[in-house]
This record gives sequence, structure tokens and C-alpha cells, in this order.
Amino acid sequence: MGSLNRISILLGLWVATGSGCLAQSSTCTGVLKGQILGQENREPLVGATLYVRELKTGAVADSAGYFQLGQLCPGNYTIDFQFVGYKVTTQSIVIRQEPLVRLNPVLLMPDNQTLQEVVVTEHRSEAQQLLQTQVSLSGAALDQTRGQSLGESLKALTGLYAIQSGPSISKPVIHGLYSNRIIILNNGIRQEDQQWGSEHAPQVDQFLASRLTVIKGAASIRYGSDAIGGVILVEPSAMPTRPGIQAEVNLVGATNGGMGVVSGLVEGAFDKKFAGLSWRLQGTLKRSGYVKTPNYYLENTSYHENNFSGDLHYDHKNFGVELFYSQFDTKVGLFTGAQVGSLADLYTAISRSEPLVQPNFSYALNRPYQAVQHDLFKGRAHLHLPKGGTLTATVARQQNTRREYDFVSFSGITTPELYLKLVTHTADLVWEHAPIKAEARGRAGQWSGSVGFNGITQGNVRQYLFLIPNFRNYGAGLFAIERYAVGRLTLEGGLRYDYRWLRAYFLDEVTKQTYFTTHNWQNANGSLGIAYQLRPDLTLTGNVSTAWRAPNVADLYSNGLHQSAVAYERGNPNLRPEQALNSNLVLAYAGKRLSGEIGVYNNRIENYIYLKPDSVPIVRQRGAFPSYTYNQVRATFRGVDATLTYKFTDQLAFTTKNSLLFAYNQTDHDYLVFIPANRSDNTLRYDWDRWGKFAKPYLSVTGLYVSRQNRAPSVTTRQENGAVIFTGDFAPPPPAYFLLGAEVGFQTQLGKQPMSVILSGTNLANVAYRDYLNRFRYFADEPGCNIMLKVKLPLAFPKRS
Amino acid sequence: MTYTRKPLLFIAFLTLFAGACKNDEENVAPTDDNEAITTATLTLTNKAVPTEIVTATIDNLNTTADFSKATLTLKANTTYTGVVTLLDKTKTPVLDATAEIREKANEHLFVYTPSTGLNLTATLTDRDTNPAPGPYPIGLTTEMKTGAASSGKLKLVLRHQPDTKNGTATPGTSDLDTDFTIVIQ
Repeated sequence: MGSLNRISILLGLWVATGSGCLAQSSTCTGVLKGQILGQENREPLVGATLYVRELKTGAVADSAGYFQLGQLCPGNYTIDFQFVGYKVTTQSIVIRQEPLVRLNPVLLMPDNQTLQEVVVTEHRSEAQQLLQTQVSLSGAALDQTRGQSLGESLKALTGLYAIQSGPSISKPVIHGLYSNRIIILNNGIRQEDQQWGSEHAPQVDQFLASRLTVIKGAASIRYGSDAIGGVILVEPSAMPTRPGIQAEVNLVGATNGGMGVVSGLVEGAFDKKFAGLSWRLQGTLKRSGYVKTPNYYLENTSYHENNFSGDLHYDHKNFGVELFYSQFDTKVGLFTGAQVGSLADLYTAISRSEPLVQPNFSYALNRPYQAVQHDLFKGRAHLHLPKGGTLTATVARQQNTRREYDFVSFSGITTPELYLKLVTHTADLVWEHAPIKAEARGRAGQWSGSVGFNGITQGNVRQYLFLIPNFRNYGAGLFAIERYAVGRLTLEGGLRYDYRWLRAYFLDEVTKQTYFTTHNWQNANGSLGIAYQLRPDLTLTGNVSTAWRAPNVADLYSNGLHQSAVAYERGNPNLRPEQALNSNLVLAYAGKRLSGEIGVYNNRIENYIYLKPDSVPIVRQRGAFPSYTYNQVRATFRGVDATLTYKFTDQLAFTTKNSLLFAYNQTDHDYLVFIPANRSDNTLRYDWDRWGKFAKPYLSVTGLYVSRQNRAPSVTTRQENGAVIFTGDFAPPPPAYFLLGAEVGFQTQLGKQPMSVILSGTNLANVAYRDYLNRFRYFADEPGCNIMLKVKLPLAFPKRS
Repeated sequence: MTYTRKPLLFIAFLTLFAGACKNDEENVAPTDDNEAITTATLTLTNKAVPTEIVTATIDNLNTTADFSKATLTLKANTTYTGVVTLLDKTKTPVLDATAEIREKANEHLFVYTPSTGLNLTATLTDRDTNPAPGPYPIGLTTEMKTGAASSGKLKLVLRHQPDTKNGTATPGTSDLDTDFTIVIQ
């Protein structure tokens, strides 16, 4: 009874807050610090690890044996401390609302009988090996974003934005850079899915990740050329090690669009004869219908997604192998109101305040739509060498098949207008050397690092309309990264050399003969990083790196009418590679009440490639179209990311996340088009310990403010052959907007199984607004109020012994 | 043990990697637009003198349009019947788009707009089979009346209006938007 009352109070509170909407944030800001020492002489155990079982994550002790683990949600955790040659020590800890938890030094007992090496690489994020500005989303904070696309869920992080094409296509943007300037590592493999297209969303199942990590800033050294904007790591949870079978079911339902998502995974590990063998099967089904703005439905914005993956690991003594296969299959309806045949249609559509056609709700999905399938096969093997160090070899094959179907007017044809098949093979070989101890001014320092090779080749085949040509490319890179840690100081340096080769194939329309053009580029880059612990609660991290990106085939050779963009886009075969110089500085503070971090960055890109409007429009059967040619300028991207949390009491916390970005075209002394506007995301959250049968209930209210993008090229018009031609953009940026959201969540028992429930509402005030980064902003409003219910049900079937 | 396994693994990887290149990309498919309109022809017949036929054609509409035969020279104060023909010459055999548009007449509308100063009025003379409040005009056939001597452009726009056709040009999208030159003398 009591709990029922509490629910109604909670729901009442939640409804009462009703107005507004926004990306959620949580108070998962707890920081755990401590030191791992050997019991026999209390020497720091450099490189010892701790592993949080519940979160499937961990940290590594530095040269003084100190470790730090951030972004912890309040809760009970079981932590395994381990080091080669020592017995595993397990501790249970409770994180409450305090921002900083210090553990007493953890003493590990030597284990002389089993000098068995522990695989630490599996327990830490791959990105943690790099001294670079990074943010991540995992655990409860990731659960809050379930059901959203990858691009949408990353918007919960500062410095991250998304470019959209209607409600169903969302591409991540890091510090103003996107498409080929960022790399998405899906389960360790560089995702290659025609990401040059601004309406091509990443083909990644968000449910595959147990952690999303974003490296903000150039991270080319480790992950290859192109990463001048940053890297997004989609990392699955570590494979199970305890014998038995576990499962997890995620259910998401949303009122807007009538969206339903079912995602499940089953995993298990064997013992006895098959000890070391583990497996996992995972799948997601997603369906959504027409999305509703506050005043009307958006015709044909339905969405289908069917994904599955399978993973098999075998670890034995000093080596391990992994086989992974995943398939992502999606069908995305494009808003018909944004389909324009000609420039005249576009102007008419822009001048309308609402779409002409406003149908009722439906799950129908017709032309125009995109159907994309992405297959990934990966094999990885690692070997701990007897003389120290670890050798890891990875090979992968990806196949991306993209079919785009436009409106057909009279032919009734069923073939797509665009077909692209991209097959990518990658091979990586990395040697991580064993830590080397060194003395510096009487203090024990440590060298750690790795060297490696990355190889890639791609073949692209097109059919139907010409947008990009067939091509073959090869790329090879060699890198070395070395880190030195002593006391409170860590230094890191990296070097990389890349070679890229590209051959594009064309058909001569007259002679019907194939001809080709070939390019090759090479480049060397470096990075330098430093982290210094000013005080136990204050850390300063700085990084300077260079990075480059060879022009891709779309930059060089696209040539065609981009109907959905109402633009004729022309490549430029004379483009030179982009060269970036990226520096950033982050100050992180973890005090008792106040915690957070402030980062500033400056990314200067020489030969920044962008589409420059031509002076003369191009005339085709559907009339005049503005024409654009790829051009190069010097561009700068500067900004501030700030996240701060203040705890008024142990229960009540306020979090503010702010992302400011200033981008400029230094060559033409003008602003750049399509740069995210400044945003501020503020959350007030109240946590309870318990309400009857509900554990860890919380209530949060969020307000998101996105300013108008005033730093955009001015929109000008002129007459050209009787047609009005816009330059800069087709319409000025939309006004600023404010959205309110609210969320309640708790954990409870369903029978004997734990269950977590999150009920969230976005755009609760049902505000009609448009976003500058939505390519369909000329035609319709953004989605209205949406209520989502997310249920997560872990199921365990432990093996009886 | 591990030392024998290692090279084997690496050879396996290399084979996988080398097997990558099937070179499909060297066979380039021709560019194929499902719904290209390459040619628009306007044929006007003098109602009073049916042997008097004038024709104008715009070619290569899908690339760089050829307007060299796009001029219609008409007599002043005369009534003509007009017929429009659209072809897709990128297909073999050449596709008659007008036939397909006639089949889907309920979602298409031709809009004829004379430029200011041109003494020409165009009236659509055919009807689709849209239910009430239809039927609506299609515009494959027209009646064109000339006035006093003048010259200018006649804009021809084909609107695609699936499920939204209402007799006006407003709904839908354009599949064709081009200009014929008219000289009335």
C-alpha cells in the first residue's frame, strides 16, 4: 500500500514538472580512489588492476600504485583487485552520494603457486590506454539512452552533437566535426559504412555497447588517419568468465512514433574440459511509425531495424582467440514533406509553416527510403609473449550494402536509384611491451607503450545513378606510442606514418570504355600528452597532436544531383589532404560537494574540405539547382566543454553540461555552415535509498537550452535567369529553444530476478521548435512530447556445482 | 607450441586479407536514372488548318539541355491544339514517358505558364478519373489561343501529386521544369 502511494506521489511529481524536454543526465559522478600495494614490502604494484564486476569495467594502478575510477553511480559494488603473481583480493564497497570515496590501501598477497597472467586489456576501455580527453557513457547513464540511435545517445555528453535528416537519421558530431573526420570503432573495428554522406547514419546497434567512449580531439596516432575530429568507441561488455548461462532482456516503448524495441542477449562460459571458452548471442528488433511533432505527423518517418551478433572467445594460459560476427539491417523512411523535385519546390516548402500533407499515424514505410545492411566479421588473437608484452592480431571484413529509393513519379520501377556496395578488409597487429621500471630522482617510474601496424583495403561498386565512382583503396600505417609515469606526472608521446592509395574507376559514356585515375598520399604525425595531479582532487591533462585526412572519393569525384539536398555536388580531384593541429587542456576536480571538469580545445585544420556554393546554378530537367564544388580553406574549431555537479545534500544534486563551439573559415573570413549551436543541459536530481520494494529510486528534471546559431554564413539571394538563388543557406538558422524533460527510475525484483525500470519524458511542454543541425529543418518541426519506458531484466542461470 | 601456432595464425590472416581483392570495382556500371526525361516535345496544330503543324523539342534535359529547336513560331489570333510528348532516350528502346504518365494521370498535372507580355493562353483539355471533387485536368493535351504578335517563354512544369492532386499546381513535386520560346507573328 505504502509503496503504491509513493508511486502515485512520484508520478504526480513527475507529471507536475510537465513542461519541457531533453537529454538525460545522472548523478553517476562518484569517484573511487585508492592504492594497490604488495603485502610483503608495501611496494606499489605498478599496473595492478581493479575490476568492478557489476560494471564490467575497471582501472589500472599508476606508477605509485594509485588508481582512480570515475563516473560511478550510487550503489553496491564488488571489486576484484589483481596483479600478476598475486592472489586476487575481492572487496565489497558502497558508493553513496559522496563525490569521492577513498579506499584504504589494498594489499595483495603473493601467489607463488600459480604465476598465471591476468588479461587486463579486456577489463579496461581500450581508450584508457591513451592520454587524451575522453568522456564515456556506461552503466546506468547508458541505460537511460537505450532505444535511441547511437548518434542521439551520444548527445548526452558534452562536446557531442548530431546532424540529423529527420527524426530517424542521426550522425554523431564531435566538436563540430563529423562524417569522415571521426572514426567509429565498433567492437575494435573501424566502421566503414559510406560515412561521408551527411544523411548516412552509422550502422551500429546501440545495444551492442556496454560502454560508449568518445575521444574528443585528434586521435590519429592510435586509430589511423582521418580521426581529426575524434574517435567513438563502441565497446561490448567483457565476456563472462564464471561457468553458467546469463541473459539480459531490454524492452523499450515510446509513445511518439509508437516505437517498440526488444533487445536480448544470452551468454555463457564453460568450465572443466572447456574452461576458457565463452560465447554470446545478441539481437535487437526495433520498429517505429510516423513521428509526431506538436501539431502534425511526419509522413513516412517509420523505421525498421533488425540486428544480431554472435561472439566466441577462447582464452588459454598465454593466448586467446575471438571470433565475432554481427549484422545490422535497417530500413529508414524519409519524411516525404522534405522531398522536393526542384528548387522551386524547395522555396515553396520553406515558405510554408507546416507540411502540406499531414496524414494520420501509420507504420507504413514507402519510398523514399534507405535500406542498408552492414555485416562485420572479425577475428582476433592475442599472445602473451614469454619475454613480456602482448601481441594482438586482428582481421576483419565488413560489407556495407546501401540502397536508396527515391520517389518514383511515373515509371513504377522497383529498383533503387542508388546502390553502393562497400567491402572493407582491415588487419591490425599491435605489440604492447611489458612495463619497464625506471628510476627518476629516486622515484620509481614506469615506461609503457605499444607499436603497431594498421592495414586497410576497400572496394566500392555502384549502380544506377552516379554519386560516387567505383574505387579501390589501400592504406597502411605504422605507429608507436610510449608513456612514462612517475609520481603524479604522466607523459605520453606518439608517432605515426601513413600511406594511402586510391584508384577511382569511371565509364566513358561515349566509348563505353573503363578508365581510372589514381592518387596516393603519405604523411607523418605526432602527439604529445601530459597529465599532472595538482592536488589529490585536482588533475590537469593537456594534449597537442597533429592529424591528417586524405580526401575521400566523395570529396574528389562526387558528381551528381543530390536530390534530397536540392544541390548539385561536384568533387574536386585536385584536393590536398587536410592537416589538423589539435590542442586541448582539461582541468578535472573531484571535491566533496563540487565535482566536474572544464576543457578547452583548439583545432586548426589546413585545407579543410567543404562544399562551396558556385556562382552559377546548374539547370536540369527539374529546373535550376544550386551547385556546389568541394573547396579547401583554413578552418578553426575552438570551444569549451564544461560539466559541473554540485551536491546540495547527499540526495539532491545539480548537474550542468555546457558545450560551446566557435568555428571560423579563416581563409574567407566567414563562418562555416552547419556548425552546432551552443547548448546547456541542466539537471536536478533527487535520489532515495529505498521506497518499500523499490531500490535506488530517483527523480530528475532536465532543462536543455540550445541557442540560435548566430555564427552562420549570412543567407543572401540574387536573381539568376529568372530564378531566385540563395547562397550561404536556404533559410536563416532557426531560433533558440528550451526543452524540459523528466525521468524516474528504480530497481525492483521480478520474482527472483532484479529488474530496472526507467520512465522518461522528453519535450514535455510539447514545444514546436526546429534545430539548425537537422537537414529537414526547412520543412517541419522537431518531434513533440515523447514518453519512453525502458525495462532491463538481467537473468542468471548459475551452474550448480 | 605457441611458436608453431603463431606463424600459422599469421598466414591465415594474410590469406584472408589477400583474398579481399576481387576487383568487382573494375567493372563500371553505366549511369542509369530510373526516371530521366531527356526530351520534351510540344506539337501545336492549327485548329482551322489541321495540316499546319509546328513542333518544338528540347533535348538532353537530363544533362546540358539543348534549346536549339525549342522555338515555336505561331500565327497571331489563332487557336491551336497542343500535345506534349516526353521521352527517356537513356533507355533502350527509348521510353515514352507520356504513356506512363497517362496511365498514372490521377497523380500528374502539366502546368503551362506563359511569360508576361506573351499573348498566349493555354487551356488543359483532358481530364483524369479522380473521384469527386475531381476529375481534374491532366495537360497532356491543350488548347492554345494566340493574341497579338509578341514573344516570350512558355514554362512547362510537370507536377507529381500522388494522393494530393486537387487541380492546382501547389501539392507535390516537379518532375520537369523547362521553357519553350514562343514567337507570335
